[in-house]
Amino acid sequence: MLSKLNKFISSVKLAVFLFITIAVLAMIGTFINQGDTIKQYKTIFSPAAYHVLYWLGFLNIYDSWYFIALTLLLIVNLIAASINMFPRTIKAVFGPYPSFQEVSEKKNPKAVYEAIETKKKPEELKEVIGKKFGEPLYEKISENSDKAELYYSRNSIFRFSPYIAHISVIIIIIGVLLNFKYGFRSYTNIKVGKKTNVTYLLKNNKPIKLPFTIRLDRYRTTYYSDGIPKAYISTISIIEEHIRILTKNIEVNHPLTYKGITIYQASYGHYKPDKYGILIVNLRHIKSFKKIIYASAGKYYNSKINNIKFMLIRVVRKGKMPYFPYIIKLNNKKILNFRVIRVKNNNFPLIIARYKNIGFIMTPQLKTYYYSGVEISKNTYVSVVWIGCIILVISLFFSFFFNHEETWVSLSGINDAKKTKIEIISIPKKKFNSFYKKFDKKISELKKYLH
Amino acid sequence: MISPNISVLDGSLYFTVSLLFVFASFIGYFIFLFTGSKMISKISFVILIAGFIIQTAAFVIRWIYAYKIGIDTPPLVDLYDSMVFFAYVIEIGYIILRIFYDFDALGFIITFIASAALAFATFYPLATSAIEPTIPALQSYWLIYHIMTLFVAYGAFAASFGLGILYLIKTGKSKNKDIENTKQKKQNRFLSLLPESAVIEESIYKVISVGLVFLTAGIVIGAAWADSAWGGYWSWDPKETWSLITWIAYILFIHARFTKGWGGKKMAWIAVIGFAVVIFCYLGVDLIIPGLHSYATPSSTPIL
Repeated sequence: MLSKLNKFISSVKLAVFLFITIAVLAMIGTFINQGDTIKQYKTIFSPAAYHVLYWLGFLNIYDSWYFIALTLLLIVNLIAASINMFPRTIKAVFGPYPSFQEVSEKKNPKAVYEAIETKKKPEELKEVIGKKFGEPLYEKISENSDKAELYYSRNSIFRFSPYIAHISVIIIIIGVLLNFKYGFRSYTNIKVGKKTNVTYLLKNNKPIKLPFTIRLDRYRTTYYSDGIPKAYISTISIIEEHIRILTKNIEVNHPLTYKGITIYQASYGHYKPDKYGILIVNLRHIKSFKKIIYASAGKYYNSKINNIKFMLIRVVRKGKMPYFPYIIKLNNKKILNFRVIRVKNNNFPLIIARYKNIGFIMTPQLKTYYYSGVEISKNTYVSVVWIGCIILVISLFFSFFFNHEETWVSLSGINDAKKTKIEIISIPKKKFNSFYKKFDKKISELKKYLH
Repeated sequence: MISPNISVLDGSLYFTVSLLFVFASFIGYFIFLFTGSKMISKISFVILIAGFIIQTAAFVIRWIYAYKIGIDTPPLVDLYDSMVFFAYVIEIGYIILRIFYDFDALGFIITFIASAALAFATFYPLATSAIEPTIPALQSYWLIYHIMTLFVAYGAFAASFGLGILYLIKTGKSKNKDIENTKQKKQNRFLSLLPESAVIEESIYKVISVGLVFLTAGIVIGAAWADSAWGGYWSWDPKETWSLITWIAYILFIHARFTKGWGGKKMAWIAVIGFAVVIFCYLGVDLIIPGLHSYATPSSTPIL
């Protein structure tokens, strides 16, 4: 029962099934947008289709329980397969090595066999054969001494490289899963000049609190001479307990990491303008005092003339210009007698209000607020992933390009030790045509020497 | 109206010239298949090398031009450059392979793929040769390593595709040979030009292995880049996902070979089908699914 389970868990068939299933699920994920909001999905799919897809987990497939379960099963499969194969590999590398007799009886389909008869003595032959196949790993001489056996092995140590490759894949997956569990990826938009310590998870838009506060000091886009954006630069300050810890510019490809949390430049934009430029004029000295104050509705602003304050009040009136519903109010006294003047060839109405010697003119200038979209990630155990990746690349190289080659040579005396019979069996781990060609060449050289 | 990319300034004229050479080489190799003349295959090889040298020069010209107009990343990012570089890589691959093995018969497939890629770059209306300034997302020192490693992988898989086809031709035809021995003398000569099937088989394995090592390295480098630009080393971007699918496809191939001893025709078919996955990963993803890797106009992408 247990051995049956072991056989199933460690089978290549299971690995193939898992790999194909993971590939197919990954493929589905590329055709259905992942991690959109419910609203976005409902515009793409019908409600029924949405519910089916949601139930199947296809809308967040890479975080779904079955995707993770398949990955974990793949780890188990890799470990089980490796453990099952390992004793055989240990034996192939460190011995005890099979004898010539055992190998010849096994009839490995990859094996090549050659037999030569010669008058030369075994002692002499050993040296010659050694030149072709290297140092023998073992030498066995039977009791009556007319029989000797030699075993050669090349690149045997590289038999371990597939194991190392598999271990490295396990290391990578473990690193990824740890990051999945303990890390997060989120985004947030910060207005210029504002600070925040709340960020929203990418996978479900849930807010989470950061251990520090981020303030966006400045945002700007630089351009190439032909108007294509060259860089998106946000100046960001990290604030902890009301103390500014550091300030740094972040750009795409140049994030900022603080306390294991990395802040990436991801997008930018601007909010709907909510501040209107009010030109303040001293009517007595028009030339001497002119000033634009950017004001938003509901706030007092000092006109800087006789310390008189004013406020814009929103009045919603349908079908009117968006700039109309603002009334200039001074010191809690509403001034409603403002006039609207239209300037020729200019659609923008000029709104003028007057209070004593101060004139208020609404200008078409709007103040827009930029925000910077940042991605905030905590990528933990990344080094585990990198170590796994480096080991993987190196071990793949050694697994693919180094071929373990084993050779057994048996020397036996025939015709009352007048002649020696040489029998050679060679087995490569990988069935390469070039191996057999090399073998043939060695044999023909050996034959040439003997005749 | 198709207007080919033939500007002297940005070097695309020289790429177009190299297209003519590679195409001439393709015709040469094609004739070689029917005549079996060693002379023709040698001439084709020389023409291919000439085309390759012109292309190298074109690269240098283009890089210098990009540098002069104030772009410090190498010209490898848009569809035009990408296709041209693909052709370049498989040409190198074939030239190296040709030095080690006697693979004249592979020439016609390789030169066909290379000239198709170059022609696509030259005539496809959306692949303009004008060098656009690099968008912020691509301004990174990782760019060149990421592209180079992956293109070596793509080139190797293209070569394995060609070898797979040769293997299928060889084994398919040699069966016929036994049955209709006398009738198909002409075809026999064609077959005799192909290397031994065992040699092709081994080279399919080796070329795919090279491709797989470079594909792995390229994905890892891409992940390292993403870690410094995208908020994490893996974002399940369509291109990333498809590169993983490609990786899985070839990993399955390697396992089938090692554990089940798959070889011969099965392996040749996998080499052919695997390349279809590669092509989808390389071009299909960009043209069908929008994502962070699209060869889109820079202004239409928000930042990344």
